[in-house]
Amino acid sequence: MSIPWSSRAQRALLNCAPIRQDRSTDRSMRAAVSRAGGSDDFVNQQSFDCAVAELVRLIPIPPETAEWFSEKDATGHSKWTWRKMVRNPAVLATSIALLVIAGVFAWQVLTRLHDFPGSATARKLLTVASSTRPVMLDPVSTEAGTLSDLFFMKHALEHYDVPDEFADLKTIGSRVFEDEESHRIAQIWLVENRMQLFLFPAERDTKTGAVLRFPGWRYVHQEGWVGAVKEHSGVCFMAALHGREKDLEPYIGKNKE
Amino acid sequence: MRKFWGLRVSDRKQNLPQLYRFSFLMLGDSRKAQEVFHSTLREAAQRAAHGDLPQEPFWLFREARWRCLEFDKHELQPEPIKLEERDLTPRAATQIDQLDPAQLAVWISAAPEPQRTAMALFYLDEFDYRDILDIAELKLNELSRCLAQGRRELQAWLDAKFPETRSV
Repeated sequence: MSIPWSSRAQRALLNCAPIRQDRSTDRSMRAAVSRAGGSDDFVNQQSFDCAVAELVRLIPIPPETAEWFSEKDATGHSKWTWRKMVRNPAVLATSIALLVIAGVFAWQVLTRLHDFPGSATARKLLTVASSTRPVMLDPVSTEAGTLSDLFFMKHALEHYDVPDEFADLKTIGSRVFEDEESHRIAQIWLVENRMQLFLFPAERDTKTGAVLRFPGWRYVHQEGWVGAVKEHSGVCFMAALHGREKDLEPYIGKNKE
Repeated sequence: MRKFWGLRVSDRKQNLPQLYRFSFLMLGDSRKAQEVFHSTLREAAQRAAHGDLPQEPFWLFREARWRCLEFDKHELQPEPIKLEERDLTPRAATQIDQLDPAQLAVWISAAPEPQRTAMALFYLDEFDYRDILDIAELKLNELSRCLAQGRRELQAWLDAKFPETRSV
C-alpha cells in the first residue's frame, strides 16, 4: 500500500521522519507521519531506519577516545561508590582530621572521666609533692592526727583534719603555705613510704559559694605520683606518694568508692 | 583523564560518544575518526580557554563535519557512479542485522556529499530533521532526497550482499 494523499512536501517530510516516534518534532511532521499511518512503504522505512540506527549505536568507542568522557558521563553523573569516595583526597584528609579530633576528644573524656571537684588543685599539689624536700618543712615528730589542732590554733585553719585512716602515722614535718590562688594549704611529711599529706579548701560553686562535695575517696595521677583525695566539711584531704594506686589502697581500704 | 564538562557535554546535542560515531560514519576509518574527534575537541578546548567558544548548538558536530570534509580533500576520491537502487523490503532489518558497524560506516563514508553527512547525522538518531538541516546546511527537499536515495542504494547493496535464498 502506497502512502495516500501525500503532497510533495509531506513526502519530503516523511523521508526525514524521526526513527523513534517518541522523539518530539513539529506539527507538520506529526501530520505527515499520521497521514502515512500504517502504509507498507512507511512501515518498511521505519523498520529499515530502526535497524540502521541500532547498528550505529553498536559502533565501539576506542579507549583513547573514551578518555575524553565515559559512558557514564554521557548519560549522567558517575556512579557513587564507597571505594571512590574513600580514595578522594579531600574525603581522606577530612576523615583523618576527624579521627584525630575524635582521638583527642576521647582522650580528654577518658582523662576527665574520673575528675571531681578539686581534682585540678590535687594534681598541682602532686607536682608540689614531687618537688618538696624534707628540709623545706618544719620538723615535727608526732602522729598525723594530732596536727589538726596545730593547724587550727597556729594557723586558724578549721576542719583541717587528718582522716582516721592516716591519723596514726608518724610525721617528719609539716608546713602551711599559700598557692597561687591564695588558698592555704597544709602539708605533712610522713615517715611511712615517704608519703605526704595535703589539706586544702574544697572547690566551691562560683555563683553560690557552696562546697562542691563528692563522696568517698578519689584518685588523681600526675607524673608518676598518685593521690587519694577525700572531702570533708569543706576541706579536701589528699594522701600522696610516688607510686601507684595499689600503694595507697592498703591505707584507704574498703572506704574507697 | 581529560574531561570536557566545560563544553556542556551533558547537553544531549553535544554528546561526545555520538560525535565520535559521527566522525566514524563520515570517514569509515577508526584512526581517521579519532584524529578528527581529538582535533575537534582540542580546538574546542583552546577556544574555551580563550573564552570564545561558540555558544551555538551543534558547534562540535559542525566543526567535526568540516574537519571530515577537509580530511577527504587530501584523500583519493571515488569516481562518481550511479549506484543501483531498490525499494525497501520487509527483510531489510534482517539483512542489516548481519552487518558489522564498520561495514555500514564504510558504505556511508563512500557516499557522495551531502548524502554522506545527511545519512551520518540521521542515523545517529540524535537529531531532529530541523537540526540536521541546520548542521548540514541543507534544504528539506535536499535532505529528503539524500535519505530516500541513500536508503534505496543501501537496500540494493544489502540485496547484493545478502541475496534472498529462494526455495524451489
